[in-house]
Amino acid sequence: MDRNLKLQIYRNMILSRRLEERIAELIKAGQVGGFMHPGVGQETLQCAAIAALRRDDYMLYAHRGVAYWVARGIPLEKVLCDLAGREGGTNRGKGGVMRVVYPELGVLGESGTLGGCFPIASGAGLSIKVKGGDQAVLCFFGDGTSNRGTFHESMNFCAVRKLPVVFLCENNGWAVSMPTERSTAVKDIADRAKGYAVPGKVVDGNDPEQVFATVSEALQRARTGAGPSLVEAKTYRLWGHWIGDPESYRSREEVEKQWRRDPIPIYEAKLAQEGVLNDSLRSEADADARTKIDRAIEFMQKQPFPKPESALEDVFA
Amino acid sequence: MRTITYAQGIKEALVEEMRRDPTVILYGEDVANFGGIFRITSGLKEEFGEERVFDTPISENAFVGAGVGAALTGLRPVVELQFADFLFTAGDEIVLKAGMWRYAHGGAYRVPLVVRCPSGAAGVGPEHGQCPEAFFMHAPGLKIVSPSNPADAKGLLKAAIRDDNPVLYFEHKLLYAAKGEVPEDADYLVPLGKAAVVRPGDALTLVAISAMVPKALAAADRLAKEGHHIEVIDPRSLCPFDRPAIVESVKKTGKIVVAEESYRTLGVGAEIGALLMEEALEYLDRPLRRVAIPDVPVPTAAVLEKFVIPSEEKIYQTCRELLS
Repeated sequence: MDRNLKLQIYRNMILSRRLEERIAELIKAGQVGGFMHPGVGQETLQCAAIAALRRDDYMLYAHRGVAYWVARGIPLEKVLCDLAGREGGTNRGKGGVMRVVYPELGVLGESGTLGGCFPIASGAGLSIKVKGGDQAVLCFFGDGTSNRGTFHESMNFCAVRKLPVVFLCENNGWAVSMPTERSTAVKDIADRAKGYAVPGKVVDGNDPEQVFATVSEALQRARTGAGPSLVEAKTYRLWGHWIGDPESYRSREEVEKQWRRDPIPIYEAKLAQEGVLNDSLRSEADADARTKIDRAIEFMQKQPFPKPESALEDVFA
Repeated sequence: MRTITYAQGIKEALVEEMRRDPTVILYGEDVANFGGIFRITSGLKEEFGEERVFDTPISENAFVGAGVGAALTGLRPVVELQFADFLFTAGDEIVLKAGMWRYAHGGAYRVPLVVRCPSGAAGVGPEHGQCPEAFFMHAPGLKIVSPSNPADAKGLLKAAIRDDNPVLYFEHKLLYAAKGEVPEDADYLVPLGKAAVVRPGDALTLVAISAMVPKALAAADRLAKEGHHIEVIDPRSLCPFDRPAIVESVKKTGKIVVAEESYRTLGVGAEIGALLMEEALEYLDRPLRRVAIPDVPVPTAAVLEKFVIPSEEKIYQTCRELLS
C-alpha cells in the first residue's frame, strides 16, 4: 500500500468519525429525526474495504455507519439531506438515511430487512457475468445477518454460478442486544465458506491494511471468474445499536476495554511511526473534516422538505 | 390467423423477446435442462446458451432476489417459480424488494423483472394450487397480470418483459392446453392495465379472471339462450386495474357478478365491490355477488377441489339468481 492510499483511508476514517459525532449531536438536539445506526469503531474496515473497489464496481452496504458513503465518495450534503428527510439527498425522503443510493458509483442501496442484500448483490453479480464484464460486487453484512436463510442461499447460488461477489462480514460482536456467541454456533463466520466451497478468511477488522489486502485479493478473484469469497473482519461496535440505545445488555467494562482498541488512534500511531503521518497532517485532516461537515450541515438546513404529494411518486417507473 | 395453445403463446413470447433483446435472461428451477416442469421452456437453453437460460438451486429467496439485483443493474430477468404458491417462499424478495426498491430509493432505479407464476387448482392441492393474485394486489409497486387465453398470454408476457417495473405473470395451469388465434407479429403486445370486453351484453356484468373466463363465457352462452345478454369482462391485468371498464359496464347493466379463483375474503371481488361503492353505487340495482373459494385452502382430492373451485354451474346459478 502506498503512502497516498494510506492517507486516503485515514482521511476517510477521520471524516466518517467526525461526521458521526456531529450526527449524534444533531439527533440528541432534536434537529434531525430518524434512525441512525452508528458505525463508530467500524469505520476503519469500511473505509479500507471500499478503497479496494474500482469506480465501476457495485456495492451493497450494511446497517451501520456513514463510512460506506463517505469512503465511496457520495457528497456529504446528500447523505445529510437523506438523514434529515429533505430534498437534495439521494432518495427524496423515501428511504431515509438507511437507504442512501448512488447509481453513479454503483451504490445500489440498502435492504431494510437485514440480509435482504445478499440476493440483490448476487443479482448484480449475475448481470456482470451475463454481460461479460470484469467488475465485482462488494456486499457488506453483519454477523447477525449471517443467520438469515438469504445468506446461505446466496452463498451457494453465487458459488455454483461463480458470480463475482465478495461477501464481507463485519463481525462486531453484537446484533442489537444479542451477542454473537449466543446467536451463532460457529466461532468464525468465515468457517461457513467451507459449506459452499468458497474461500473464507478471517481478518483483523481494526487493521485497515489487512482488510484492504484481503478484500483486494477477493475482488481480484471475482474479476477473473473464479467466483465469490467470504471475508470476516473482526471488529467491535463501540457505540450502541442506535443513537440513544441505553445499552443495558452489555457491561461498561467490556466497552471500555474495546475503546482501548479503537482503531483510529492505533492507525494514527502506526502511520506516525512509518513517517506517513505527522502532527500537521493530522490536524489538517481533522480541520478539513470539520469544515466539510459544517458546510454540508449548512447546506442541509437550507434545503426544503419534499412536497407531501411527492409521497405518491416513484412507485412505478 | 394461426391457432396455437396458451403454453405456445408463452413460449413464443419468451423466444421472441430473448431474440430481440440480449438483456433478457430466463432462469428458475428445472427450466434449462428439463425445459420446465410444464415444458414451456424446452429448447431455450439450446438456442440462447447457459448464461441466459439456466437452472437454479431450490433457493427462491436467492434467485428471485437476484432477479431484482440483476434488474437494477441492466438485465431484464424472467424468473420462473414452479408454482405461484412459491411466491410466499420468496415473500421478502417479491413484496419488499421487487415492489419497493425503486420507491425506497427515491426512484433511482428501475426493476424490469418478470416472475412467472403457474397458478390455479389442477389436482395439486394446498401449496401448489392457489391463485394468489389478490395477496399481491395489496403490495404496492408490483404489476400483476392473469391472461385467460393464448393471445393475451403472449401479448401480456411480451409487454411485461418490456415493462420497466416488476410484473407477476400468473399463468393458469389448466389453460396451458387452451387453443386460440394468436397474431404472429413480433411486436404484438397487449397493454398492461387494459381490460377486455370478451362478450358484450346489457343484462349483467360478469367479471371473470384467468381460468374463470372460459367458464364465464359458457355460462353466458346458456343465459343467452334464456334471453339474457351478459357482458363478460376479463380484467387481464389486476395491477394496474382497469377501473373505468368495470364502472362503465355496470352503469349499463346495473348488475355484477365477479368470478375468481381467489379466496373470497379480500379477493378481487371485494376490491371491485369497494370500487363500485365509491364510484357507481347509484347504478347498481342489485347487490354485487361474488363467486370465489370459500376461504379454505385448495384441497387435493378431485371431489373436494371441485366443490370449492368456482364452476360454470355456480357462475351460471349466481347470475341467474341476480337476474330473477
